[in-house]
Amino acid sequence: MPEEKTGTAADPFEAFRKLRDSYLEGMSKVMIETVNTEEYAQATGALLNNYVTVLAPFREAMDKAMAMTLEQFSLPSRQQVMSLAERFTNLEIRLDDMDAKLDHLVELLSAGTPISNSPENGKRAREATPMRHTTGKRQ
Amino acid sequence: MAEAVSLSNDWTVLNEKLVTLNRLMTTKAAIGQTPKELIWTLNKAKLYRYVPVLPAQERFPIPIILIFALMNRPTIMDLRPGHSFVEHMVGKGYDVYLLDWGVPGPEDSKLKFENYTLDYIPRAIRKMKAVSGAKEFSMLGWCIGAILTTIYAALRPDDGLRNLVLLTAPLDFSNREGLTFARWTDEKYFDIDSVLAAFGNMPGEMIDFGAKALKPVENYITNYCKLWDSLDDPRVVEAWHSMNTWVTDIFPMAGGAYRQLIVDFYRNNRLIKGELKIRGQVVDLKRLRANVLNVIAEGDHITPPCQSEAILPKIGSTDTEIYRVPGGHIGIMAGSAAHKRTWPHIDSWLAARSR
Repeated sequence: MPEEKTGTAADPFEAFRKLRDSYLEGMSKVMIETVNTEEYAQATGALLNNYVTVLAPFREAMDKAMAMTLEQFSLPSRQQVMSLAERFTNLEIRLDDMDAKLDHLVELLSAGTPISNSPENGKRAREATPMRHTTGKRQ
Repeated sequence: MAEAVSLSNDWTVLNEKLVTLNRLMTTKAAIGQTPKELIWTLNKAKLYRYVPVLPAQERFPIPIILIFALMNRPTIMDLRPGHSFVEHMVGKGYDVYLLDWGVPGPEDSKLKFENYTLDYIPRAIRKMKAVSGAKEFSMLGWCIGAILTTIYAALRPDDGLRNLVLLTAPLDFSNREGLTFARWTDEKYFDIDSVLAAFGNMPGEMIDFGAKALKPVENYITNYCKLWDSLDDPRVVEAWHSMNTWVTDIFPMAGGAYRQLIVDFYRNNRLIKGELKIRGQVVDLKRLRANVLNVIAEGDHITPPCQSEAILPKIGSTDTEIYRVPGGHIGIMAGSAAHKRTWPHIDSWLAARSR
């Protein structure tokens, strides 16, 4: 095997690496073309839909059983906890808006500007988008 | 004897490689290390302000807020010390803020783009303006963050947005033949309602698989072969480790927002067509008047360049620029050449517009 002038041995795996890289490059092109076909999209879609369909009855049974168990133990259901979390978020939004209004009032007081006549006051009140209760309806 | 020594050396090298590989696969790199302080929260969202390193008189008066996608951590913008976009910008004198969307829970499955663009972003910006004392600001949106920032900029053009930087923005979905995701999520094949009914939020593992399946050999095989070849190079190893830590930190996307992404964007291209309604209001791109830098990754297979090219003629801005960079969706900002190309360009463009 040829050796470089520095005395370092040539890498015996270099040829293998080149072969490996060429093979992977070729495979990559083939796979990219494959995943871009309608057939692949159809196959993965069918796989996912089948998985979800097969899962559905088990999920429903599990949800019902869990709801009954939680009710028996007087514990809140998942839906109730989620609803509570949504309400917390809405409260948080209100608090954030109040915090911003307070900051603005403090700013106006510091500047000695009369609060009722401040044009900024109306603008700030309009700045925060009204809180919306999500209904889950699709657009 | 010489052969025995050589064999012993080979085993030592192999052993070291295996130890390094084990460390990479079983530990997480320290990412997102640039010092910051939490200044605002709402639900799971957090707004951070990065600690300035320059005195106030040397800093740009216009702060910048960074907004990333909804299904990955924004720590990609602050990957590791010495190779961090955030660190770079803070060092250049920008007052940098980062909006971290957090991880949605089951209770967030109804969150839609309207919530992010009209509830979260305006309040985060309000806080940023209060803390910075600035009336105007810059915004950088990357990937789905670019969709959110574009919608926000068009719906609320009077909030003080001066400069908008869009990175690999998936805004135009008209070229359906060139968009693999559009093919996979076509209504003929992908029943989004049954998937979201089953899971609530879109599972992160599915989104991650989808992104990797665009180039399956690269992502599942070549990536690891290249790592094996470079295990004795500490720079490559640490870069790989930090990127892999970020890539594997996956979490779900809010179901409502995911459904909107597929139906309103991928299937119906409503934003570019001027048909997108957010909370009853049509998103009129002509109302977007901020200065815009549109950064396009020429090698992007997740958001091909065609998805970002159509936006500039649609908006009302007069100061616009397209900047094309060699590289991929993430690579243009987090890759080895980002500090030589993308970051300096964003910096120079913003610097001219942040006084």
